[in-house]
Amino acid sequence: MRELPQKEANLFKQILKCYENKQYKKGFKGAEQILKKFPEHGETLALKGLFLNHLDKKEEAYEFVKKGLRHDLRSHVCWHVFGLLYRSDKNYEEALKCYSQALKIDKENLQILRDYSLLQVQTRNYEGFAETRHILLELRPQNRQFWIGLAIAYHMMGKPDLGIKVLTTYEETLKDIPTKPDYEHSEMLLYHNSMLEETGDIQAALDHLDTIEKHVCDRNALREKRAKYFLALGRQEDAEKAYRGLVAHNPDNFAYFDGLRKSIGLGHDNLSAEEEAKLLELFKELQKEYPRSNAAKRLPLRYATGDAFVKVADEYMRNNLRKGVPSLFVNMKTLYTNKEKAQAVEKLALGYLAALDKTKGFDNSGSTVEPPTALLWTLYFVAQHYDFKRQSNEALTHINRAIEHTPTLVELYMTKGRILKHAGDYVQAMNVLNEARELDLQDRFINSKCSKYMLRADKMAEAEKTVVMFARADIADPLNDLVDMQAMWFILEAGESHLRQNQLGRALKRFHQVEKLFADFTEDQFDFHMYCLRKMTLRAYISLLKLEDQLRSHQYFVRAAQNAVQCYITLFDKPEGADSEEMEGMTEAEKKKFRNKQRKAELKAQKETEEKKDPEGLKYIKTEDPLGEALKFLKPLQELAADRIETHLMGFELYIRKNKLLLALKSLLKSIKIDANNATLHEQLVRFALAVQKAGTSLKPAVKSVIDKHWDTLFQGKAKDLKAFTASFLETSKTLGSVPNLISAAIAVSLIEPGTEKSKAEAEAIIFLIADDKYIGTRSLENVLVAQKTLKSLRSSRVQEFRTKAASWFPKATVFQS
Amino acid sequence: MNIREATLDDMIPMQNCNLHNLPENYQMKYYFYHSLTWPQLSYVAEDEKGRIIGYVLAKLEEDPAAEPHGHITSLSVMRTYRRLGVAEKLMTQSQNAMRDVFNCKFVSLHVRKSNRAALQLYRDTLKFTVQDIEKKYYADGEDAYACRKTLQ
Repeated sequence: MRELPQKEANLFKQILKCYENKQYKKGFKGAEQILKKFPEHGETLALKGLFLNHLDKKEEAYEFVKKGLRHDLRSHVCWHVFGLLYRSDKNYEEALKCYSQALKIDKENLQILRDYSLLQVQTRNYEGFAETRHILLELRPQNRQFWIGLAIAYHMMGKPDLGIKVLTTYEETLKDIPTKPDYEHSEMLLYHNSMLEETGDIQAALDHLDTIEKHVCDRNALREKRAKYFLALGRQEDAEKAYRGLVAHNPDNFAYFDGLRKSIGLGHDNLSAEEEAKLLELFKELQKEYPRSNAAKRLPLRYATGDAFVKVADEYMRNNLRKGVPSLFVNMKTLYTNKEKAQAVEKLALGYLAALDKTKGFDNSGSTVEPPTALLWTLYFVAQHYDFKRQSNEALTHINRAIEHTPTLVELYMTKGRILKHAGDYVQAMNVLNEARELDLQDRFINSKCSKYMLRADKMAEAEKTVVMFARADIADPLNDLVDMQAMWFILEAGESHLRQNQLGRALKRFHQVEKLFADFTEDQFDFHMYCLRKMTLRAYISLLKLEDQLRSHQYFVRAAQNAVQCYITLFDKPEGADSEEMEGMTEAEKKKFRNKQRKAELKAQKETEEKKDPEGLKYIKTEDPLGEALKFLKPLQELAADRIETHLMGFELYIRKNKLLLALKSLLKSIKIDANNATLHEQLVRFALAVQKAGTSLKPAVKSVIDKHWDTLFQGKAKDLKAFTASFLETSKTLGSVPNLISAAIAVSLIEPGTEKSKAEAEAIIFLIADDKYIGTRSLENVLVAQKTLKSLRSSRVQEFRTKAASWFPKATVFQS
Repeated sequence: MNIREATLDDMIPMQNCNLHNLPENYQMKYYFYHSLTWPQLSYVAEDEKGRIIGYVLAKLEEDPAAEPHGHITSLSVMRTYRRLGVAEKLMTQSQNAMRDVFNCKFVSLHVRKSNRAALQLYRDTLKFTVQDIEKKYYADGEDAYACRKTLQ
């Protein structure tokens, strides 16, 4: 039945064309026409389904494609179409199966082979990808893309030597190499060179570079590679020359200065006094050569020590204060990890301020009079310095002086807001940011910052109203536009605000949005598999593949995932938390009524924007399996953020709730490896020991033997006596002066002997240790809040007493004010 | 301030910078498209901690009728990092790459008519000239100055 009469066969060809040209409506009509006469023609039925899919009729699409297939199981077209349908739904596994069926029927179909290979690379089946690419090359050895595709496949399989072979063979077949540099050819040669570098044979890579030089368009890549190779080969003098050349092309690139430093043998840490002097001399010379380079002025501050540091810092700071560079403090702050440097900077800045007040110069020599703005920027600097040290009052005094000096400078209000935020007065901070915003309504940056501060103060409505001022005005739902434009900073801040307010559904909606954006980024790469082979931007393409594999290690994803896991844990622990805030205080009958109303609204909202749909996030809080949902967020972190202890601490929280002791154990062992002194870890160890105790004889012998094996690693031989274990942890915590450790010890004490007045009193006493000044280093606002929360969860009668103490440590923090 | 060629890893922070600063925003795929088509033309500025605080996103204008030329899709620097000449340094590097890699003869860009600060930057500091006014160039109906600069 596959053969159609001439007229319909022609029509069938036309509708295939329609598909290629994305004329879906026209194609659909054509298919209908054929089906009128031949209603059981499988391939036409399948194509009709495909057209329906593109006309947004998903269910019917599957129906027709499947029907077509039933009528013509031996048609590669039907299988190919089925594969395309799955592919458009991102169901790659099923799509791959369909393609493979199609290829069984038509082994040499280029189109199907090509589509198949795209899915293989998208799903990172590099072995299969190489196989398919090999077939394609054998079928069409004159096609450049097929050569390149195979080289890439080998490269990604970790066999750059094979990739190089493929490229070399291809290059040898080229008859007319473009005489003038040709971009695509050049990109291929540079890719070839990068693979050589990857094999570790740097000499070969350098030699190759010489042979391709005249064909290369990307001169900068050529220069960078050469410099790098010289350095790797120990050809110091050549490297020095090469890096000096690079600096001349871009005297603001840190990596070039770094290379230069290494090429003269000064790349190591702990320079001797003599070496330090030599390096500083080099930078002096470079500053003269490149007077407009910031890097040449800033980098010496990293390397100079002692008096030499004071000298270079002095000059650097004066120049920047004179010029009024707003980022000076943020820039200097990174040096503060070195205490000596931090003190030197403080001394300089306070010295300037005193001198400016007295003689209008940076020193009292009277030799120069600075512009009036020098005082302003110095005050601004000093305010930020005190804020960094969390001396809020000093910081506010100085920033207020600066504002008095120049009341129209937006930056000053931003700093004032930050000081207030750090002091714990989020509402006042937000108000100050709003003043700043009103000073410059045209500037989106200050609008964004102001909106963020509103979210930090949990003023959702105000934040939304403010942030949309720069979203597209012509759109009915501008907030949705912001999400469409992938404004992750906003989505995350909004989600975190909901979480603080225990609006779990709304919070989860936001964190799932971030997850969806990352899924979209993964999806985005699909079109580029073909595209890059055509454009030959192969080095960039390889970095795309690598980036996509690491994508979810990005801090935005990690933040969203950690928060989502926390939401789901809360949902699991307190299912009543699953009620939305509107439902608080309702009776069961009222709740039912409310839910019905919600459901109706949901149905109605289906045509609405993503943003307006289910604003409460009921879909998420209604989940039957919160821990399972949480695991979905955790999995990528376990793979890509395994070096972060939070990943494993969260893993423990999930597994212990699921009563999966071995997985909980595994999480603990990973945490110990990262930081055995972590505060939360101690509490988790105690909980684990208690869970094992509780399970007692119900524990399977196999499980028990594994736990036993690791017992000593976990408890350093002290598990028999959890009290002693915690007591020794408490001693260490005291020595460390660590507030988080104290909190963890208090929780542990209350868990070991639950419900007794004695253990409660003991836990309380531990928390009150915080008041001792030796804990000032970690007695941050965040930590004190956690301590207070812990007291509350102990149902302690001393919460008010604690709050009063906390208020004395953080007089501006609204959260401690009664 | 570190000025260097942008890589694909920079696209997420670049988008973040853009969303904070400018009303014209793009989805990630458009950033990927730039970096995967003309990897040499976009540059970023990093602070001491390696955070992206400015960028130029640039492309080749593919108009076979005209001389080869580059186009600035987007340029912005976080407000708190002004007065360091970051925008100018980014533009210089991007323009050099347009000239050296793609043999561009000139570079073009659009500026909102109401954005006087930007016009000043392009005209006075970066030596662009206004060629034309494109009516209703922006989605909200605002006109754009079409500017260009010859590359030597």
